[in-house]
Amino acid sequence: MKARTELLAASAVVALFAAAPYLAPLVHLDISIVSEVLVTAIAVMSVNLLLGYTGLPAFGNAAYFGLGAYGAALSVQYLGFHFIEAILVGTALAFVGGLILAPFLLRRRGIYFGLLSIAFGQVFYFIAYRDTDLTGGEDGMTITRPYFGIPPAHVAIHELSFYYIALVAFVLALIAFRSVVRSPFGRTLVAIRQNEARVRFLGLNSDRFIFVALLISATMAGVSGALFALLINFAYPLELDWHQSGYFVLSMILGGAGTVWGSLAGAFIYVIGKDIISTITPLWQIFLGALFVACVLGFPRGILGSLAALLARSSAPAGVDPNATFDAHTPSEVNVGP
Amino acid sequence: MIHDLAPQIFNGLVLGAFYAIVGIGLSLIMNLTGTINMAHGSFMTLAGYLAFTMVSRGTSFWFALIAAPLIAVVVGIVVERTLVRPLYKREPFYSLLMTFGLSLMAEEIYRLIWGANAVPFSPPPGLASAVSLGFMSFPKFRIFIVIVLVIAMIGLALFLTRTRFGLRLRAAVQDTEMIAALGTNTQLLYAVNFGLGIFLAGIAGVLAAGMLGLSPTSGNALLMPAFVTVIIGGMGSLFGSIVGGLLIGMAISLTTLWIPAASEVSMYVLMALVLMVRPRGLFGEEGIFG
Repeated sequence: MKARTELLAASAVVALFAAAPYLAPLVHLDISIVSEVLVTAIAVMSVNLLLGYTGLPAFGNAAYFGLGAYGAALSVQYLGFHFIEAILVGTALAFVGGLILAPFLLRRRGIYFGLLSIAFGQVFYFIAYRDTDLTGGEDGMTITRPYFGIPPAHVAIHELSFYYIALVAFVLALIAFRSVVRSPFGRTLVAIRQNEARVRFLGLNSDRFIFVALLISATMAGVSGALFALLINFAYPLELDWHQSGYFVLSMILGGAGTVWGSLAGAFIYVIGKDIISTITPLWQIFLGALFVACVLGFPRGILGSLAALLARSSAPAGVDPNATFDAHTPSEVNVGP
Repeated sequence: MIHDLAPQIFNGLVLGAFYAIVGIGLSLIMNLTGTINMAHGSFMTLAGYLAFTMVSRGTSFWFALIAAPLIAVVVGIVVERTLVRPLYKREPFYSLLMTFGLSLMAEEIYRLIWGANAVPFSPPPGLASAVSLGFMSFPKFRIFIVIVLVIAMIGLALFLTRTRFGLRLRAAVQDTEMIAALGTNTQLLYAVNFGLGIFLAGIAGVLAAGMLGLSPTSGNALLMPAFVTVIIGGMGSLFGSIVGGLLIGMAISLTTLWIPAASEVSMYVLMALVLMVRPRGLFGEEGIFG
């Protein structure tokens, strides 16, 4: 895809989101839901980097997301930190979480990696759940949204201003994400997904690449979690739970694995869809589960991915990494399965 | 001291036996097809609820103990044939995601049928009392649980090592293509293997309902320890699952005695320690599962 077309499309999407506070009421959407879409999209990107690009079943990213959320919430609650500081603390906590878990996850691939991510991710859930004095345990902890800025220039953040903060954060995250996956580093990650053995034969230490990818992923998930806690003014253990990781993975698949814009599309469908369904019926979990099943069986390449595959037949794919068709790679010996 | 410690050690064994049997079921499915069955806990819950319904309709506990898991097996095989099978030739995380969706649906369906709150499911009158062991007394039902689970494990071991079908199953884990080329119907193996895993989960589900309670999420509560069991024991090793299950059962019940708040975290500490010393788990086989 030509750089100019992409820039044009990207500007159009950002402009559309910038106008969302005026557009959302037209379809009876609360602006904070659109904020949630943007914030979630960052977490979905973090999964996309590991799963969509590198091919590692990242089913534990809720751990970093939740660490980000708790980092922000705890620093606001107990240290009286402001908005930006709280986000930095949350992000740092998630980064440290990544540093702790990465050595365990690093050497494993395929389902073993998935199993380890699920299991290790859950440890923080139990800590938050059990440490009732600090975190409020199962009930979670409610915070008042901190001011933005330096003490003399306190600015209270309302839903609208939060939305634009989320938008800026999302655009920055997207730019960072795009530069990572388009860099030689990102290309190597894709190569690892396609055939790790060959990457090693070329003399590259794939473990080291995966280590860095894990840390980037944890950090992004942490930013997302911190923003999320400040969005809903609340941190609760389920943010750390493996269910949450599964929702991120689902969103990634919905949008399209291994695509730059797929994360936004997936987060959009997931968050808005959940919001709409949960207002219609209390049985939304059935629909959500059915969405998982239908998506896996019906749209393995996600919405954008399927669209791109369709377009690829006629012309060049739009907004999609052409290397990113997930199943279409030669299995290397690190992948097992019948 | 001994009066606190001994019952906790026994409780740890009972818990460990649960984790082991659930972990073995997970392992069976994972080893052959690379599927991480996130709906495993849902099948446990299903068997528990089915047994609950049967017993409250007047059937005996003994009948329910066998019949409920068997019905769960039928459901499991239908699910495997229709939903899981198309995913075998795809990346393994697709089946993980799909079964995760199934578990979400199942949880809500159980809530619809049996209500959101826990339902009372008590062991049969003959097993309700406690037995005195001299230095401590211990609920009969828990001893019964251990006996049943041990029988199930021995039965499985005999099936896998002494029957032709069991041998084929183990051969298929080693090399599916070769066993198919030799004329074995591998699809049948997949289905039976899945059913076997669900049967073990079902038995554990009925027994767990009597000991740990029965609610729409009760099976899922056992899923995470079962994952840890498989990791500690080593993927690919069923014997490892038994050892892993007993180890974390002990770890959890002993930390419950001294530091209750850390009871769940203890198994992760144990897992981290084991992985530091043996990255493939205690009995994990080299070369399997990357």
